[in-house]
Amino acid sequence: MVMRSLISVVDDDESVRESLPDLLREFGFSAEAFSSAEEFLASDCVGQTKCLILDISMPGMSGPDLQRELTVRRKRIPIVFITAHVDAAVRPRLLAQGAVECLFKPFSETALLNALNAALRVS
Amino acid sequence: MSGTLGQGSAGDRHQGRIDIARRAAHPSVMRDFHKRTGTEDELIRVVDALPGLVWTALPDGHVDFLNQRWCEYTGLSVDESYGQGWQTAIHCEDLPELLGRWRSILASGEPREMEARLRRFDGEYRWFLFRTNPLVDLSGQIVKWCGVNTDIEDRKRAKEAVNGVDRLFRSVVDGLPALVTLRTPAGDLEFANRHVLEYVGATIEELKQLPTTGTVHPDDLPNLLALWKGSVETGHPYDIEVRRRRADGVYRWFHMRGSPLRDTDGHIVIWYLLGTDVDDRNRAENLLAGEKRLLEMVAGGDSMSGILEALCQLVESTVTGCYCSVLLLGPDGTRLERGAAPSLPPNFIASIIGRPVKVDSGPCAMTAYLNEQVIATDLTAETRWAASDWCSMALAHGLQACWSTPISSTTGKVLGTFAIYFAQPRTPMPQHQILIDQFTHVASITIERAQTDAALKRSEAFLAEAQHLSSTGSFSWNTVTDKITWSEEVYHIYGLDPTVPITMERFGSRLHPDDVAHVSEHINRARGDGRDFEVDYRTQMDDHSVKYLHAVVHAGRDQDGQLEYFGAVQDVTERRLSEQALSKLRSDLAHIARVTSLGALTASIAHEVNQPLSGIITNASTCLRMLAADPPNIDGARETARRTIRDGNRASDVITRLRALFSKKDASTESVDLNEATREVIALSLSELQRNQVILRPELGDDLPPVTGDRVQLQQVILNLLLNASDAMGGVNDRPRQLIIKTERDEGDRVRLTVQDAGVGLEPQGVDKLFEAFYTTKSDGMGIGLSISRSIIESHHGRLWAAPNDGPGATFSFSIPRGSPSDMTGVHNLDPLQTPAVKDAQRIVRNP
Repeated sequence: MVMRSLISVVDDDESVRESLPDLLREFGFSAEAFSSAEEFLASDCVGQTKCLILDISMPGMSGPDLQRELTVRRKRIPIVFITAHVDAAVRPRLLAQGAVECLFKPFSETALLNALNAALRVS
Repeated sequence: MSGTLGQGSAGDRHQGRIDIARRAAHPSVMRDFHKRTGTEDELIRVVDALPGLVWTALPDGHVDFLNQRWCEYTGLSVDESYGQGWQTAIHCEDLPELLGRWRSILASGEPREMEARLRRFDGEYRWFLFRTNPLVDLSGQIVKWCGVNTDIEDRKRAKEAVNGVDRLFRSVVDGLPALVTLRTPAGDLEFANRHVLEYVGATIEELKQLPTTGTVHPDDLPNLLALWKGSVETGHPYDIEVRRRRADGVYRWFHMRGSPLRDTDGHIVIWYLLGTDVDDRNRAENLLAGEKRLLEMVAGGDSMSGILEALCQLVESTVTGCYCSVLLLGPDGTRLERGAAPSLPPNFIASIIGRPVKVDSGPCAMTAYLNEQVIATDLTAETRWAASDWCSMALAHGLQACWSTPISSTTGKVLGTFAIYFAQPRTPMPQHQILIDQFTHVASITIERAQTDAALKRSEAFLAEAQHLSSTGSFSWNTVTDKITWSEEVYHIYGLDPTVPITMERFGSRLHPDDVAHVSEHINRARGDGRDFEVDYRTQMDDHSVKYLHAVVHAGRDQDGQLEYFGAVQDVTERRLSEQALSKLRSDLAHIARVTSLGALTASIAHEVNQPLSGIITNASTCLRMLAADPPNIDGARETARRTIRDGNRASDVITRLRALFSKKDASTESVDLNEATREVIALSLSELQRNQVILRPELGDDLPPVTGDRVQLQQVILNLLLNASDAMGGVNDRPRQLIIKTERDEGDRVRLTVQDAGVGLEPQGVDKLFEAFYTTKSDGMGIGLSISRSIIESHHGRLWAAPNDGPGATFSFSIPRGSPSDMTGVHNLDPLQTPAVKDAQRIVRNP
């Protein structure tokens, strides 16, 4: 059996945590969901995660905070940011800081797949 | 019948006759005499029966016979009376004259009469008439004197009485304080009483020389002559008032009445003329009439100067040779002003007015200054006003005396001066003082009335102007008679003719049909309870336009104790219309405020919508993939489809809440759970708060009672407070951006909501302005949020306020009463426009 790549989802919104892992699995990935950055960091998935789908604004540690923390910990995980706040200025800034992609909710299946493919190429 | 005469004349030759006489004088002798000769007897009886005392005397006066009546009357016997004996019966006072007369009678030989008092037997003296007649023989020689004494006592008494009455009458007529004259039918003077002579200053003889009408005033003469002529012709009494000249040349008014005295044949014997001095009465009557005329002028509202002028003229016509002036004290009390002086030289008055009210400025200025009368009897000797050279000025105008009297108000304040001038030195008499007192009083009434009138007119003008400006009229209504009185402005408001008196029917005809029942109810209740009330209603004009009126009515009693209402009615149409316009404006503003909030929440709203949308799309993709698998994952697809629906509902809820909060709709009243309303607001704004890194700590109280109000309006306030708090912490990086929203029960059955931030806090000078419209500290805000919030809370009978925290930041709170069932059912006005905060806003809206 082919070892499926683990995609981790960190989002405080429950519906995302419910729906996105299912879709990722349909794509053929392995998927885990975390409700906060802190929970993700505390898990044992950090090392296995091939791609991180990360919500930008969350209570406590935000998406970019987690990105910085991972850099500090020298964990080079490709990150696809997702956000419900439509702010065009956010995307270039995040890409400049090393993000693979920044998707605005709601995003299409294709957009997600393209982003994941790009992320996995990077990895 | 002196004793001397009697003794000298007694002689023997008469002896026999004397015997007869003696016998005849004595009853017993008479009887003997009767027996002797029948003729003699008869004679004796006749003599005794005569109603008089009969006697005879010899030519020398010696009494030789006395009849029985003499003896009976005097109680003297014939012997005692014989010769000179009779003299003892004569009153000693009368005797000398009687004897003198008797002697001259004897000497003359003529029949004569004498009077003397004769003593009766009981000692009483009575007057008797002694009549003597000589008895002559054929040769013409007196042989005897016959005498009869007749009792004239009663006649004498009567005559004396008549004489007494005559004297009394004369003295009464002389003493009468009237002119009494008697004139012959031809008009010649017959008699004038003492008063006439004194008045005219002539003796009766001098008076008789004067022409009939010599003392009558020439102006009155024609009338008098015509009347006198008519009366003489017809014999009718006459009655006229004429002036008659007194000895000193002064004419005085007399009331002259003439009546004829007629004899038994009806011919006029004499004219009685009575003249009564009515000069003082006429003068008093004239004065009284003049005073009455003046007071009528005052009451009739004549001009003050006209009345004062008439007053001066009246005094001038009453006091001969005087000139009067009235000067008024100026408003500041320092100068005299023109009042009236119809007969004084204008230059003279001109040089008095404007003089300072001081002691040395002249008599009137002095009077006004001292508030006391100043009398200058002779200006040539006057020194008091030498400083101002007043006297020489007056003397140059021919005036030599001045009596100036203050005219005082009822409170004793000097209103002006009343002065009387004379061309000769004069000292006031008591009657002048009375006159002065009387007319300064009338002048005082005149001036005070004029001043009161002026003040009243001013006040009325002010009132009318104020009523007109404020569109407010006043009215009264007697509930018993239904008599209504309206001020002019009320007629104006109702568009009715002020000359047609207002009635209940006329008033009713002007009411707006929809308000008739409601106004009638007020009126009917007012008839009974006598309470103050206020009522709002509309009136419909001829052109069908409508006016909104507000009446405030106060209950009272008239002088008869009848229930009467007094009130003010104001045309509030413009206010109502502007209120309505403002209400619209306000509602628009409130909407703008909400839309502004919406702008602030755009990102948050997008987030809230995008979140479920994202779920929907993801789930839908998953679902399709699960169905496309071989074999299809039906259970998985069902699960994802279920999630799709859930997220769709979630998105729908967000939209519903948004629509509720930001749609434009009228205020409504319902029971609101403030906790639930707060949660909804938090749900909408949460992502915005999150984006601003605000840590929200809700502390919503348990068992919070519902409040009555407009849910959306209250949520708007909560949202506004939350966003303000979030904004206030936008620049805070050195401490947690903590925001506490708390609900709790408040004292007085109220519910309180508190929003506490840790932001920049309040500027001390800004606290008062915080709730004013268009006050803002934000570069992108309109500054209407807090103003509208406060008006919303006040329309819920609540209060919204701000206070600084002990630490950083500020706390905004509102407290509103919990709802009551009556509030729920009644027409509860939640229009924020009716509150004071809104009025502030209105002011600012009017004058931005």
